[in-house]
Amino acid sequence: MATTTLEPRAETYRSSWVIDWLTTVDHKKIGVLYIVNSFLFFFAAGILALVIRSELAVPGLQFLDERTYNQAFTMHGTIMIFLFIVPVLSGFANYVVPLQLGAPDMAFPRINALSFWLLPLGGLLIFSGYLFGGAAAEGWTGYAPLSGGTYAAGVGTDLWLIGLTLVGTASILGAVNIIATVFKMRAPGMTLMRMPIFCWTVLVTAVLILLATPVLTAGLIALFIDRNYGGSFFDPTTGGQPILWQHIFWFFGHPEVYIVILPAMGVVSEILPVFSRKPLFGYRAFVFATIAIGLLSFSVWAHHMFTTGVVFLPFFAFMTALIAVPTGVKMFNWMATLWRGSISLTTPMLFALGFVTMFLIGGITGVMLSAPAVDFHLQDTYFVVGHLHYVFFGGSVFGVFAATYFWFPKITGRRLNERLGKVHFWIHFIGFNLAFFPMHPLGITGMPRRVSDYSPDAGWTLWNMASTAGAFMIAISVLPFLINVIATFINGERVGDDPWEANTLEWATSSPPPPYNFDKLPPIRSERPVFDLRHKHDVEHLSAEERP
Amino acid sequence: MSVEASTSMSADITTRVEVARRESGMPTPLVGMLLFIASEVMFFGGLFAAYFNARAAFVGEWGPPAPAPELEILPLALPLTVILLTSSLTMQLGVWAIRRGNQGAMRFWTAITLLLGISFVAGQLYDYTTLGFGISDGVFGTVFYTLTGFHGAHVFGGTVGLTILLARAIQGQFSARNHVAVEAISIYWHFVDVVWIALFTTLYFLR
Amino acid sequence: MRPSAAPSRLQTRLLAVAALLLTTLVAGCGMLPPDPKTEAAKAVWDLYLIVFIMGAIVFVGVEGFIVYAILRYRRRDDHLPDQLHGNNLVEMIWTAIPTVIVLVLFVLSSIALGAVEARSDNPSVTIEVDGFQWQWEFRYLDGDADPGNDVLVTGSPADPPVMALPINEPVRLVLRSRDVIHAFYVPNFLIKRDVMPISGEQPPNEMELNVTEVGTYGGQCAEFCGDLHARMTFSVEAMTRADYDAWLAAAPRGGSPPPPSVAPGATVLDLTADMIEFDTHQLTAPADEAFTMRFMNEEDVIHNVAIFRGEERIFTGDGVTGPDATIDYVIPPLPPGEYTFQCDYHPVPDMTGTLTVE
Repeated sequence: MATTTLEPRAETYRSSWVIDWLTTVDHKKIGVLYIVNSFLFFFAAGILALVIRSELAVPGLQFLDERTYNQAFTMHGTIMIFLFIVPVLSGFANYVVPLQLGAPDMAFPRINALSFWLLPLGGLLIFSGYLFGGAAAEGWTGYAPLSGGTYAAGVGTDLWLIGLTLVGTASILGAVNIIATVFKMRAPGMTLMRMPIFCWTVLVTAVLILLATPVLTAGLIALFIDRNYGGSFFDPTTGGQPILWQHIFWFFGHPEVYIVILPAMGVVSEILPVFSRKPLFGYRAFVFATIAIGLLSFSVWAHHMFTTGVVFLPFFAFMTALIAVPTGVKMFNWMATLWRGSISLTTPMLFALGFVTMFLIGGITGVMLSAPAVDFHLQDTYFVVGHLHYVFFGGSVFGVFAATYFWFPKITGRRLNERLGKVHFWIHFIGFNLAFFPMHPLGITGMPRRVSDYSPDAGWTLWNMASTAGAFMIAISVLPFLINVIATFINGERVGDDPWEANTLEWATSSPPPPYNFDKLPPIRSERPVFDLRHKHDVEHLSAEERP
Repeated sequence: MSVEASTSMSADITTRVEVARRESGMPTPLVGMLLFIASEVMFFGGLFAAYFNARAAFVGEWGPPAPAPELEILPLALPLTVILLTSSLTMQLGVWAIRRGNQGAMRFWTAITLLLGISFVAGQLYDYTTLGFGISDGVFGTVFYTLTGFHGAHVFGGTVGLTILLARAIQGQFSARNHVAVEAISIYWHFVDVVWIALFTTLYFLR
Repeated sequence: MRPSAAPSRLQTRLLAVAALLLTTLVAGCGMLPPDPKTEAAKAVWDLYLIVFIMGAIVFVGVEGFIVYAILRYRRRDDHLPDQLHGNNLVEMIWTAIPTVIVLVLFVLSSIALGAVEARSDNPSVTIEVDGFQWQWEFRYLDGDADPGNDVLVTGSPADPPVMALPINEPVRLVLRSRDVIHAFYVPNFLIKRDVMPISGEQPPNEMELNVTEVGTYGGQCAEFCGDLHARMTFSVEAMTRADYDAWLAAAPRGGSPPPPSVAPGATVLDLTADMIEFDTHQLTAPADEAFTMRFMNEEDVIHNVAIFRGEERIFTGDGVTGPDATIDYVIPPLPPGEYTFQCDYHPVPDMTGTLTVE
């Protein structure tokens, strides 16, 4: 194929497998650590989701008291966002970006390791609240004054603050690493406009992390000072401003949701071209749309605060409506990539198509919410919970599974079973829609969010039961996935460098790659160097600038 | 690796990558430091936003709560500012020295910078004892101590970096061509100084 | 591609029927908001319908395209399809059209917002809505500076408050919180507004309602506010002006009744409430003898004491708001046994205890 693999593979001698993984600075091993750690937190937060949905299936408090329920949804949201979705995408970025750039590792390998190890530490600190009188229970958004010392006494919220500060720091260091790697370590010939689109989305994500997360850190520290040192940042009884918390939080919080979605969009933009056997339509426009989304994401934060009565509604409504445009452009690019392609419905392709179709729904409900007058009715209801799960889950989590199935052969040298993959996909897809679509009518008819119980006379019971059934279906769908992963590790079909006939440089080396990544790189003349190499004799399919 | 060495080797792509990485554009550790500083700017931005928000919403006279006296630039704040500004100058003198290959001068200026930095932190801590109000004395106290406290912590972090630089310099680890750590720490030090200028202006002049 | 033909009358009728069925299905499926019961809510409902239809068209169009493309362009052989990288004209068009659409949407949204945020110069009724953990209190302002004669409606989780108001008149609500952020939400009015704790000279949030139809409309807090957030419910009862006047005349005015004096020779139990917690969770009282419970509320939050035997409510004390407010409850003689005492406004473990009567 494209490279020669040294035989036997050159590996540094290590004393033990455990020490190796604990002290590694190899971006590939660190990427795997990120991914595995994140999936563990995914399962923990998923169990919390099942607890929530079990309680809400029918009216009346079944088996939880209110305080425990509130801890459950707080922990669910916090863990899912900060300890699953952002880190798992970081993990794929860590593994794939240096390979796609033709680099031997990240710019700062030791800081890369530090970034990872802060995560299980931060996550354990956040969870440890359960052992010390109760975990944080103010929602993942922790609004003041509810999260202040008067109304949220107890060390659980303080542990939440410290844990999140560590996780945020890890994120920021990771972002520094990514940006430096992209700008300093691309292989010769790889201009920025020939960089894989996944690297572009990860780059913009890293810039967002770099600029938004420190603002959250400032807010977390300010709240900690209020709670523990008699501070008056947010306490209205001593002259503080509760609304300041919301501004600080959402100035971070809105870029955060793009941090969560952009890498997943990048994954989808790698997979759709491979399994349509065509390039991504409008690569250049896609890059500009990604940058536009990044820039605009800093101007819309107060659309989470429309009902506070103290934001300048026209500006934020306008900017929020505007950000739909680059997002729509991306949707059209994906559709045009499929058009007149030659489509194979492999499992990664199914999850990528699932992303496109489900994220569309989340995007539409987002545009509905962007009108303040409509938002006044729907804010803080289950409509928002439905919207956020369609973008976070229907979007990012589908993207994560797409990435898992796509890059699993590269990471492990073995291909996951396609039939089990399809079973996983269909149960997951149906369960997902069953769980989250009913949340839209629930919200439209007035069911508020973050409630441990609801009235049996409101007509909400059937929708809630359906949603709970869907949640359990999602949980069940994890089984074929886990069986697949374990069975494949034990005895899965081995693959060569490029099992999918893909486009980018990670497929130009062995599966898994050697520690130094590449023995030899193909010429880089477009954003699809491996495709070009494979088709170097089919010159007529290349545009003029791509012909060698 | 010198230019002569690269031409004598085969035009192998791996070596070209090696040379390209080392010789083109800003050194990678410096890129990393600049990016890190960008994140720190946003961190202080968040704290400054809290300050201005608190000030705008405050009812009454903005400043240290009674009976504490108004903030004065003498006898401490102005001299501390001079100390920090001077330390930026001495830091830069050290950078220029090592760019010329003068290890001795670089060691000297780095040591002076370190001393000035420690003086700043000590002076700031002493100033705190004379102010007459604390972090829990209302909104002004909270934002004042948070802003100056985190700035002081960043100066302290800088002194740790300077200590490491000095130790490495004493061991002769820096040369005209190999001193990126000095450049990086110096940029960090100037950043800390710029934040102080913004803080000083805001707290003592804009009020 | 088939050439398009002008739609026949049959096709048009079928389309109309399909649209009707779809709307019914959608409304039945809960994708349309509740019937609007205020003037402003009608504007919101209309805007929602427009946005929803736009969204539905995009949904059907895009998903349909994707499903079609997957089916039509399945890989059948190893032939490499045309490697199209882009098309500047098409891309410019599909950037311009969505931009125009969102601008139109923004304009429509601004118009509806104007209707919602309109304020009349002279609201006929002004009600101060106080939210607190975890209930509501409505104070009807009558224009004089004396709060002692205002109509006051105080709710408890067991007994949520009812806000009476006249239809077809502008009613102004002034929203304030006594602790954390809450939100006043009535789904039938298609509106909510945050209820903020006041800091400094910030004016409280206000809402204006012009209810168009007599009826009872449920509402609840819509900003997560702690343990009993889900039970912070209330209802709005809109009635004719005549009925409202009658209700107002008969409603009890503000102020709490004077505390009954202690019966001579009787036992006095002390109980204090602070930080949403009783200072003791174990009390003992003599059997078959009236006794007094001296209840001191040390905080600016309403509490009371109610006594239960199992599920049965034996005694309900009046609510009292501190700080440093004391009320004496005279409890009638009780047969020996184990009873529970609890605060009706905060029926949480911290405000629950056991009363042993022996």
